[in-house]
Amino acid sequence: MTNTTTWARVKSPWVLHFNSGACNGCDIEIVALLTPKYDVERFGVKLEPSPRHADVLLVTGCVTQQCAERLKRIYDQMPQPKFVVAIGACACSGGVFDGNYNVVGGVDKVIPVTAYIPGCPPRPEAILDGVVKLLNALNPPKQKKQKQLEPPKETKPVVSEPEVIVPSQEAKPVIEETKTNVKQ
Amino acid sequence: MSNSKIDIVSIVESKLKDKVQIQLGQLGNAAVNTSNGLHRDVVKVMLEADEKTAIVAITGLDLGANLGLLYHLRTSNAFITIRAEVPKDNPKIQTIVDLIPGAAFSELEVADLLGVVFEGNPSSGHFLLSEQWPEGIFPLRKDVKANEVKLNPPPPEGARTPEIGRQVKIIIGPQHPALLEPEKFAVTVDGEIVTKVEPRLGYVHRGIEKASESRTYLQDVYLVERICGICNACHAYGFVGTVEKILKTDVPPRAKYLRVVTLELNRLHSHLLTLGHAGLEIGYETLFQYFWRDREPIMDLIELTSGNRVYSSLMTVGGVRRDIRDTDIPRIKTTLEELRKKLPFYRQIYTNEASIKARMQNVGVLSRSDAIKLGMVGPVARASGYDIDVRKDEPYEAYGEIPFKEIVYTEGDTWARMNVRMDEVEESINIIDYALDHLPTGPFRIDAPRNVPIGEAVCRLEAPRGELFYYIKSNGTANPDRVKVRTPTFANLPSFLKTAIGESIADVPPNFVSLDPCFSCTDR
Repeated sequence: MTNTTTWARVKSPWVLHFNSGACNGCDIEIVALLTPKYDVERFGVKLEPSPRHADVLLVTGCVTQQCAERLKRIYDQMPQPKFVVAIGACACSGGVFDGNYNVVGGVDKVIPVTAYIPGCPPRPEAILDGVVKLLNALNPPKQKKQKQLEPPKETKPVVSEPEVIVPSQEAKPVIEETKTNVKQ
Repeated sequence: MSNSKIDIVSIVESKLKDKVQIQLGQLGNAAVNTSNGLHRDVVKVMLEADEKTAIVAITGLDLGANLGLLYHLRTSNAFITIRAEVPKDNPKIQTIVDLIPGAAFSELEVADLLGVVFEGNPSSGHFLLSEQWPEGIFPLRKDVKANEVKLNPPPPEGARTPEIGRQVKIIIGPQHPALLEPEKFAVTVDGEIVTKVEPRLGYVHRGIEKASESRTYLQDVYLVERICGICNACHAYGFVGTVEKILKTDVPPRAKYLRVVTLELNRLHSHLLTLGHAGLEIGYETLFQYFWRDREPIMDLIELTSGNRVYSSLMTVGGVRRDIRDTDIPRIKTTLEELRKKLPFYRQIYTNEASIKARMQNVGVLSRSDAIKLGMVGPVARASGYDIDVRKDEPYEAYGEIPFKEIVYTEGDTWARMNVRMDEVEESINIIDYALDHLPTGPFRIDAPRNVPIGEAVCRLEAPRGELFYYIKSNGTANPDRVKVRTPTFANLPSFLKTAIGESIADVPPNFVSLDPCFSCTDR
């Protein structure tokens, strides 16, 4: 059963886009992904309007105070397993708005993030690359026998004490393991 | 235009000679200093003299012991600023909403961020700030260290009050498929008919105006550019144009033409984006895909001229940062020519296609007088027969030398607003073509002084969504003292709140998207 669901998820991940206080730069690039030149649907990616049907949450923006609570609520509404992709410099770290009075700064201060795509804004090709890498991490090629990326289990409490999550933290062990496999 | 002969400054001077001081040439055509509630009298005189008098913005300033208020008003041929002051310990002033209804949002913003109490325009709750923001702390006051403010705990999720009777409240946003950006609209419907629209702004409020006070002028260009990812070149120009006015520097002719090319490329991609997005909102997805396909070559041109797809970062104080290579000009012209060839097809869709007509004609009709009263700008105003275009009224950069048509429709509905944009796409192509053909030789940048002297200035420009307004006050240090931005969507939003009422809930999306709403601009 797990294999079937993983296969279904990787072949057709449904993504939800949430703007948590972005300047529209990243958002327009996400929409551009759907259009003929980039056409993300050829990877089976479908933009889904409801959080309850989404597998992947694409978050843009620096997370304003007013959006933080909503972002967490949307994340909680998504069914398990769920993955979060932070798109753009603001979503990764707060970007140019970090330190402003109405800005929390970074998606990972509110909800756990699976993948980071930096750039201001990242080019559509970069977003595409990030999404495809995430899909590959979910369903690694069989001969390598990698561990599957565990989806984040618990929602972290909102704001107050900012907790730094090092980007690509989850990606590292996967690579090391591959090396050891090769040695054996 | 018969109105263009009105000399508003001398009319105000003759009627209120003893009561107000007039400083010619400051903050537009003139600054009028008032006290003791006389600002209302000046507004009344201006409204009587010129029917096109409309509010552009209200800037709030922290002047130490007092709070300053600048009412920026536009008439058919002039730009006037009225100054008023209120003491900080009792910041009360009479509202002007009864005279100019379009001032309501501007007053609420000043009330929320600076704590001025407008008598007659009561604010309920926060306008831009988060609900958790403590009462009585106003981030734009200089003594407030805004990022040390402790927020109130979030309110508990209480049970919602049940709806009584026929009226049902439908919440659109902050996460909603029809909105690309987070903003909340509570639409009350009776059956299918909308009876009330309550907006809740501030989901994208990042405090850019306050943040710009702690950065240098050069850093601020990149910060204000990020107010909006769509019309970023316009924001950058608004900022550098205002700083150049304080510095009293003039940019070289080649820079003026290059700026026009950048601003028009910006308009082109923005209009194509909206024309496509409108298709998506009425369920015409093919049109959306077609428009966005043809928008991509324009994005490539922006990348060709500036090095980046979205943020061109081309404007700088004293000119532009990059020149256009002569070898690139043929490619730009060919790309634009290809787009021009496709326009008759799109125009035919927007004028004749039955589904577009059915969903857009007679939807969200705004009369010319309402457009003036509510202070509409840009394509929304021009679709209602209100002929304002800063490029024509107060030509900046090279716009005075370039021939182009001002597109005006009189229907005032959603269909007219989209068709104004459709026609402007062609005008933009003409402008870029003309600018590239007549590109002057010489330097594209001069070395502007880094130190900005004490002073203040305003700058207006025509962004894709309408008139964009900048006000900067400098205090002689490396950082500006106050930066105020009034964005076009902030001015255009009252149109939607007015025209949605009485129409079907199904007409809300096309009506809404016809404003080309941009909330990252609105909230800043």
